[in-house]
Amino acid sequence: MKIKHQLAIFNALTRLLVILILWLMLPILVENVVYRHINNGLIEKKKKFIDNLNQKEINDFIENADDSTETYSQFSTLHSEFLVLSKVPVKGNDKKTFFSNEFRIIEGEENEYRILQYHFTYENQDYQLEIGSSLSEVNDLTFIIRFFIIIVLVVILLATFLADTVYIEYLLKPFYKIIDTKIRRVNEPEAFDHTPIKAKSRDFRELDLVLNQMMDRIAELFKKEKQFISNVSHELLTPIALLKNKFENLLQNESLDDNAVDKIAGSLKTLDMLKKIINNLLLISRIENNQYEANENINFHEIINDLQSDFQDRMDDREIHFENHMKYDYAFTGNKTLIHILVYNLVTNAIKYNRPNGNINIEDGFEKGRYFISIADSGLGMSEAHLEKIFNRFTRISSDQDGQGLGLAIAESIASFHHIEIKVISKINEGTTFTLLLPEAAKHN
Amino acid sequence: MNILIVEDNKELAAEVYDFLCNAGYVCKITHTCEDALEEVASNDYDAMLLDLGLPDGDGFEVLQAVRKTKSKMAVIVLTARGELDDRINGLHLGADDYLTKPFALTELSARLFAVIRRMHGFTVNSLSIHGFLLQLQDYKVSYNEVPLSLTKKEFDIFQYLVLNKNRVITRLQLTEHIWGDILEVNSDSNFIDVHVRNLRKKLDKHRSIDWFETVRNVGYRISE
Repeated sequence: MKIKHQLAIFNALTRLLVILILWLMLPILVENVVYRHINNGLIEKKKKFIDNLNQKEINDFIENADDSTETYSQFSTLHSEFLVLSKVPVKGNDKKTFFSNEFRIIEGEENEYRILQYHFTYENQDYQLEIGSSLSEVNDLTFIIRFFIIIVLVVILLATFLADTVYIEYLLKPFYKIIDTKIRRVNEPEAFDHTPIKAKSRDFRELDLVLNQMMDRIAELFKKEKQFISNVSHELLTPIALLKNKFENLLQNESLDDNAVDKIAGSLKTLDMLKKIINNLLLISRIENNQYEANENINFHEIINDLQSDFQDRMDDREIHFENHMKYDYAFTGNKTLIHILVYNLVTNAIKYNRPNGNINIEDGFEKGRYFISIADSGLGMSEAHLEKIFNRFTRISSDQDGQGLGLAIAESIASFHHIEIKVISKINEGTTFTLLLPEAAKHN
Repeated sequence: MNILIVEDNKELAAEVYDFLCNAGYVCKITHTCEDALEEVASNDYDAMLLDLGLPDGDGFEVLQAVRKTKSKMAVIVLTARGELDDRINGLHLGADDYLTKPFALTELSARLFAVIRRMHGFTVNSLSIHGFLLQLQDYKVSYNEVPLSLTKKEFDIFQYLVLNKNRVITRLQLTEHIWGDILEVNSDSNFIDVHVRNLRKKLDKHRSIDWFETVRNVGYRISE
């Protein structure tokens, strides 16, 4: 779940909680306010009544009260209010004035009333005065208010939820932009876009800034690494060049005996080996450092044909039959030189580890929509244990073979640089098949 | 032929100097960008061998400056940086050829020969040795007007040995010359023997080739 949804939901839930509490508290609040208002009204009436009090009026009420079977001496026609005066002996600790809610039946109609009870003594006679005010309207009103408020709250809830979502989305926009443009699309530190992302929140501006700084450091390291590779090659290869040239000039000396010539030739071979190891390690690190462009059109037919004519003599010499069964014209974009090296290394291995009068078969096709090209030889083959190690640097099938054991390590680097998968199947004394499985995204002509 | 060697490693420069002087060139050594520019401005050179990693700057700067004034001078860049972008960059700036360190001196002389030949409008079109005539523009060899059918590789080997006649050329040198430098992982120098064997067979049909020696364990030599 994305943060914008989480935040919006959290906000909505907290708001809902507040609303629920309000909703539950509403009756108490309403009653407090309403009752106070009614109480004040009742006290006002009592005051008026007491102020105008005289014996005649008391008798009026009492007499009337005696006449009727009910004690309601006076009430409004809509039964919203009533007033009752009765003779009641005053108990010592009775409060003089108090309020209560009671149900009363007036002319056969039951209603809830807010009732003020007042005990007083007039000319040595104890009386009880009750003034009531109907609550039915108040209850209706409270219900309407509660209903109205709940509707308003729900509307507010929905509106703020929507507003939240939109606003959070707006706030988080720079975040997704940072992820997209500054992280996801960056493969090369040099291709990094340093333009600051516009963001309203300082947090994202900070994130952007920190990312920019981090990328600068990485770019700096990349640059240093490239510089280092370049320096190493220059500083190591120049002395090798010097030694090589010295030995080559020395070889021209007619007075050398066979033993000396052998030693010089051996030294030249060692130097050559050293040069190749350095160059190949540099090649691998340059590939792994993404120092190659991959934007050339590659035609595998062309590469295979080139290699075949290059190696025809070598193969003729060992009577190896080269069969090209390629059927598809497949276009691939990558680095031509590197792909050439990759195929070259596989083909030269197929020649090197073949038996005399053996075969090399080139085939191509599609596997689950992915183009593949396979190079199969009928040579020595490898054991399972050996297969696991062939892509490691400095691994060789047998120690008496020429080479540095870097060919397949390079092939592996080039393949992964181009997102090509290399599969190997091998059987001892039957041969080895290398399959290059190209990435799906590559287009097919 | 005047050649300027721009190389900061003094010993290496001296080695190249000796070799080229022996081959009949007139050479001068400079060790820095500044000296190189001064030398180019004050003297006429047919070719320059330019190292890229110089103590006071990048060799490419020299190349750029030189190309602005001297269009007739051949420039061979001697680079230890195998980086391809450098190569492409260099081609745009007008280097005529590249040699990656470590290079064989004989390879250098072959490249120099080709570059200078091109610079001077292909005035040298053939080489001859013991009656064999090598036609450089169409890779053909004939003996007393009788054409020999050599493969491209055999021709290259023959030409290389003739260009560096009287010198022992190792199998490695020949291998590098024929197959180049980049695709070197599995290069097996013994394969060169196959080609040389075939070449010798073809030459031997026309006259005895005692001047085409195999130097035991090392390589080959063609003597004049």
